[in-house]
Amino acid sequence: MSFVDGRYVERGKTLSRRVLFKLAAAASGAVAFGTVSARAAMDWLDPRRIQKAASTTRDDGVKVIHSVCLGCNTRCGNRAVVKDGRLELMSGNPYHSYNHLANPISYATPVQETLGLASPVCGKAQAAPQYLYNPYRILKPLKRSGPRGAGKFEPIEWDQLIAEIVDGGRPFAGLGEDREVKGLKALDTDDLIDPKAPELGSVRNTFVFMTGRLQSGRKEIIDRFVKSSFGSKNRVGHTDICGLGFRMGNWAFTGQKEVELKADPWGAEYILVFGANVYEGLQPGINVYAAALANRHSKGQVKFTIVDPRAQNASCHAEDWIPVKPGQDGAFAMAMIRWILENGRYNKEFLAAPNGEAAKKHGNACHSNATHLVITEKDHPAYGKFLRLSDLLQEKVDPKKDPYQVFPAAGKDPVDSSKVDTAVLDAEASVKTASGASIAVKTAFRLMKEGVMERTLQEYAELSGVPVEKIEKTAREFVSHGTKAAVCQYHGAGNYAGGTHAAYAVAILNALVGSVDRMGGYNKSGGGAAKWDKGLYDLKSFPGKKKPGGVMISREKAAYEKSSEYKKKKEETGSGYPAKRPWFPFSKGGLSTETLSGIDQQYPYGCNILVTYFFNPVYSIPGGYRFVETLKDPQKVPLHISVDTGINESNLYADYIVPDITYLEGHYGWLNPHAPTLKFTGVRTPCVEPLTGKTKDGRPFSLETFLVDLAERAKLPGFGAKAMPGKDGQEYPLHTAEDFYMRAIANIGFNAKVPAAPEPEVAFVERNYPVAKHRALLNDDQWKKACFVLARGGVFKKYDDLFDGEMHKYGIKKVYLYNEKLAQARNSLTGERFSGTLKYTPPVDSKGKVIEKADQGYPFFMVTYKMHVHTQSRTTSHRWAMEVVPENFVNMCAADAAELGLKTGDAVRLISPSNADGIVGKVQVTNLVRRGCLGVSFHYGHSQLGASELSIKNAESVMLGGKEVAKKDRLLADKSLGTGLNPNMVSRLDEGLANTPLVDVIGGIPDFSSTRVKVIRA
Amino acid sequence: MSERRKFLKKSGLLAILGLAGLAAGDRKAEASNVEQWAMIIDLNRCTGCQSCVIACKAQNKTAPGKFNTRIITEEEGTYPQSRILFTPVQCNQCEDPPCVAACPEHATFQLPNGIVVTDWNKCTSKGDCVPACPYEARFLDPRHGGKSDKCDFCINRLNQGLMPACVEACSEKARLFGDMKNPQGEFAEYLARSGLVTRKPDLKLKTRVRYVPSSKSVKGGVL
Repeated sequence: MSFVDGRYVERGKTLSRRVLFKLAAAASGAVAFGTVSARAAMDWLDPRRIQKAASTTRDDGVKVIHSVCLGCNTRCGNRAVVKDGRLELMSGNPYHSYNHLANPISYATPVQETLGLASPVCGKAQAAPQYLYNPYRILKPLKRSGPRGAGKFEPIEWDQLIAEIVDGGRPFAGLGEDREVKGLKALDTDDLIDPKAPELGSVRNTFVFMTGRLQSGRKEIIDRFVKSSFGSKNRVGHTDICGLGFRMGNWAFTGQKEVELKADPWGAEYILVFGANVYEGLQPGINVYAAALANRHSKGQVKFTIVDPRAQNASCHAEDWIPVKPGQDGAFAMAMIRWILENGRYNKEFLAAPNGEAAKKHGNACHSNATHLVITEKDHPAYGKFLRLSDLLQEKVDPKKDPYQVFPAAGKDPVDSSKVDTAVLDAEASVKTASGASIAVKTAFRLMKEGVMERTLQEYAELSGVPVEKIEKTAREFVSHGTKAAVCQYHGAGNYAGGTHAAYAVAILNALVGSVDRMGGYNKSGGGAAKWDKGLYDLKSFPGKKKPGGVMISREKAAYEKSSEYKKKKEETGSGYPAKRPWFPFSKGGLSTETLSGIDQQYPYGCNILVTYFFNPVYSIPGGYRFVETLKDPQKVPLHISVDTGINESNLYADYIVPDITYLEGHYGWLNPHAPTLKFTGVRTPCVEPLTGKTKDGRPFSLETFLVDLAERAKLPGFGAKAMPGKDGQEYPLHTAEDFYMRAIANIGFNAKVPAAPEPEVAFVERNYPVAKHRALLNDDQWKKACFVLARGGVFKKYDDLFDGEMHKYGIKKVYLYNEKLAQARNSLTGERFSGTLKYTPPVDSKGKVIEKADQGYPFFMVTYKMHVHTQSRTTSHRWAMEVVPENFVNMCAADAAELGLKTGDAVRLISPSNADGIVGKVQVTNLVRRGCLGVSFHYGHSQLGASELSIKNAESVMLGGKEVAKKDRLLADKSLGTGLNPNMVSRLDEGLANTPLVDVIGGIPDFSSTRVKVIRA
Repeated sequence: MSERRKFLKKSGLLAILGLAGLAAGDRKAEASNVEQWAMIIDLNRCTGCQSCVIACKAQNKTAPGKFNTRIITEEEGTYPQSRILFTPVQCNQCEDPPCVAACPEHATFQLPNGIVVTDWNKCTSKGDCVPACPYEARFLDPRHGGKSDKCDFCINRLNQGLMPACVEACSEKARLFGDMKNPQGEFAEYLARSGLVTRKPDLKLKTRVRYVPSSKSVKGGVL
C-alpha cells in the first residue's frame, strides 16, 4: 500500500486490512523476540482497543455522511462517521473546495471511491461529538420558575409552551407577577405602534427576533416566519459584532453592493493583513485561508505582512509585523496611500478607466469611479453628488439613464463616462451648464487625495504608532507585485467607532494597485452554485405573505430626517437634531447591539416579545453586561423566549428556553462561500437523529418545530397545509423541517443540473443519511438528483473555472473612491454630513470625544481576539480544546510587564472607566502584543454553560448528561468550564447614550478596540 | 467474519510461520517486505492550529491532559522584531528506540515497518520507558492502570489504508507521510530534500519523524 498526496493507493485490493494489521503485528514480535514471541505478539494488545478509539470511514457497519460543518461559520465540508447511531469521528469532505486548498477531487468522482481519501478539518470541526453530546444540553422546554436571572427553571409540556407564547395572559402569576403578557396573537394586528409616528410601522414590529449564529437554511425559515408570515421588520442579525467595521469600509468601497472582499490567497503574491487573525480566526478560517497562506508560503509563492496590535500566530510565517495602535488602521492605510500617491506608484490604467468596457480593454473585470466628477459647488442642490448629464442640460433626462460625467483625456468639456476609454484622474474645474451657469467639480480621485493629504506622513506615523520608515517599506512592498497584491482585512480593521472610514481607506489600497476582481487580487465571493428557492418549488411566495414595513428598532437603513421625531423637533427648535439615539441610514445593518440598546431605551418604540436564537449577547457583545438590566426588566422585555441548546449568560434571564438541536442533528442548509473568489453551495443534512424530546406527533423539539407550531396555533399564513406552491401546480404542506428543506435541496439539484445519482450513490445515501427517511417527500427523479448532491455534500465549482484569464467572473465590477450615498448621509446626533471619501477619523464617543484622550487615566488599550480551537461563546463543551488550552490570559508586552513587576501567571484585575469592579485574569508575558496594549481572547470567563449551579426541576431528565451533570432538582457546576476571563465584561460604554455599549455613528459598529483599562495586581 | 476473510487470516498465519528468516533475526529481509513509514513536518507550513492535536485526541481517545502529539509554542526575537514558532512533536519512531531498551518486560517493541508500539497485555505500568524517551513522547494512562501510551502513527488507520489522523487533519499539508521505500507524490519530493533534520540532533538518534526548519526563524524551530 502507498499514499500519493494523501490518497491511498491499494495494492492488494481484496486483502482485508485487518489481516494485514495482524500480520504486521505478528511479524514485528518476531523481529524483536524470535518466533515464540512472534506467536505471542500476534495477539498484542493495542492500547486503542482499550481506549475505545473512534471508528473510521473504513470500519464495518459505520455510516458515512457528507455534510457542512458549523464548528465556526466558515462552512467547510465535513464527513461524519456514525456507529450504532452515535457520531464518532469527523473529517473533511474530499469534494469541498474549502477542505482542499481550493483544489478538491473532481466533482464527478463516484462517492464510493472517496472514503479512503484524506480530507482535513480543523479542531473545532473535529470536536463535533463533544458539541453534540455536551451533557449540559437541554432536552425539554424550560419555563422560568423564579425571578428573571435567578437561575430557576422547570420543564413544561411542548403544547403548553406554544399556547402560552401565542395566547399570552398571566403565565407568571404563580410567581407573584400579575402583569398581563401579550402573546403573539395580540401583536398580529396592523394597528400602528404610534399613530403620531406612522413611519415606525405596525405593532407587529414589537415582535423582535434576534439571531446569533444564523446560516442559510434556518435563516430562510426564520425570515419566512418573522417577516413574511408574521409581518415584523425586526428579524435582526448580529453582523455588528461579527465585524461590521471592515464590512462598512467595503460597503462604501463597492457602492453598497458587497461587504466582504479579501485577497485571493490561492493566487496572490503579497497580502497585507489588516486586523484579520489569519491563522486563528477569519471566515474562511484556519482550514482554508491559513492553509492556503502557509502552504504557498512554504513554496515561496506568497508573502504577507501583519498590521495588527497583536503579532498573531501568523507571525511565524509573516514577512513583517506592524504593531499598529488600536483603532488606527485608517491612519496607517492613509499613510500608505499618501506615499503611493506622492511617488506615483498607483495603477493609472486601472483607475483612469471610467467604465466597464474600458476596463475590459485593459484586461480588468472592474473599473472605478476615480475619474467621475463630483459637484463641489456648495450652494448647488446636488452638492456632494456626482455630476450627471442632467446637471448640465436644461431638458429632462431619464434618471435611470443619467450618465456620470468625466473629463476626457483631450478637451475641457465633460463627457459621459461611458463614451471614453480613459479619463482625467486628478482634476478640479468649473463646468458650464447649457444655461450658462457654472458648477465647481472635482474628480473622485482628487477628493480622495485631498482627504489623504490633510495629514503628513509624520502625522500619520504618530497617530498609527508606526514609524515613517515602516510605512514606506510596507507601501513599497505592496506596490511591487503588480496586481498580485491585495489586502485581507477583517474584524480588527475597523471594529471601532470611526471604523467605516478606516476600513474604507484599507479597501482603497486595492484600487490603487488595481487588483480588484483579479486572480490573486481583492475578490468577493463567487457566490452559490445553485438557487434553493425556485425551480421545482417556490419556497418564498405563499398566499397571505406579508411585507413588513416601518423602521427597525435598531434604526438601521432608516433616515432620521424622515421621522416624526425629527419633524417635530425641527418645528420646535429650528434644528431637528440631535436624535435621541443615532440612526443608521448608510449601515449594512445587522445591528444587534443597537437593537438591545433600542429595547433598553424603548426607542424608537418598545418591544413586546423578544426571541433570541442561538445567541448570547450578554457574553458576546462588547459591553453586553449592560444588557443584564435590560433583560431583567419586564417593562422593557415583557416576554423573552430563547431558542438554544443550553443555558448561557443571556437566556439565564429568559422566560422560556426552547431546546434546540445542533448542526449534527439538523440545521439543514445551503452554504455559499465567503469572500474571496470561490463558488459553491455546500449542503448540510443531519448526521444523526435529534437527541431532544419529541412532540406528540414525533417531531423533534427544535427551532423549526417551534416556528411551525407557533404559526399553526396563531393561524399565520405560510405554514401548515398548502403552504408551498410546486411547479406542478400543487400546494405542499409545511409541518416539519424536512417539508421545507428537502424541497430546497430538490431545487438545488434541479438548478445545478446535476445528473440523477447512479444506483450505488443512491444506495450510499439511503444507507447512511438520516435524511433518506424523508425521501417520499420528493418524486423519484428529484430524489436521485438530490442524492447526487447529498452524496457529495453540495455542488462545487473549480477555482480555474471562476476566471476569464485573470478576471474574476463573479467580481464586484465597480469600486468607489467616492461614495455619494455616504456623502449624503448625516450624523443624526449633530446633523453633520459624513465624508463621502477618505477622511481620518479617530475613535470617538457619541459626543465626539476622542476616547484615547478622554480615558488617558487608564494606561492600556485592551484588544480582543479569537483562538484557533474555539468559536465565540459556544465551545467550552469542546473538551479536547479545553485540554489544549485550559484557560485564557491577559497578554502583556514584556516591557510593560517589567515596568509593572508582573510575570506570567500573576493574577491581575482589569478595570475600565465603565466597569470599576473589573475582571480578573492571569498575565502572560509576551513580545507579541504592542506596548501599551493588552490582548485578551474570547471563549473563556463563562459563568454559565455548565460553569454554575442552577435550580432546574427534575434536572436529571432535562439535561442530556442526566446524572453526570444533575442531581434531582439541581444542575451541577463544572468549574473547569468557567476558567479565564471575558474581555467584553469591561468594554467601554457610552455615558452620553444612557450608558449603553459604545457604537460608531455611521454604521452602528460596536467598539472592540477603544476600551482602555488599568491593571492592578489581584 | 466472511469466508474470504477467514481464508486470508489462515493463509496470513501460515505466511507468518513461514517467515523463517525472522527467527534468525534477519531484520533487513523482513523489512524489505513491508512499508517503512515515516513523517516529515514542514515548519514553513505549520500554522499552530492544533487540528492535528485534536484529531489525535478524537481518533485515539488518549487520556485527558495527555497527548500523543502536541505543538511546542515558543517566541523568538525582541519586540517588535518578534515572531512565534510552532513545532509539532510526538514519538519520533526512533530506529534504535531508547524506550524499547528501557522496558524490562519487552512490552514495547518495534514493528518491521518502523513503528514502535506497546503491548498492553505485557505493560506492567512501571513507567521506565517514560523517562527513557528523550522526546517526552510517552506517558502513562491513568484511566487504564497507568499503562504506557504514545503515538503509533495511527497504525490502526494505516492498516485500513488511511492516513494517520494528524496527517489527515493538516489542511496546510505540513505533515507529510509515506513509505520511505516507495515514496510517492509530495512526500517523495520532501524525502529527497537535503536539510531535513531530526529533533535534538545532539542525541544522534535516527528517527522516522524529520523536520524542515522554518526559514523565517533564526533557530528554525524548537528542534
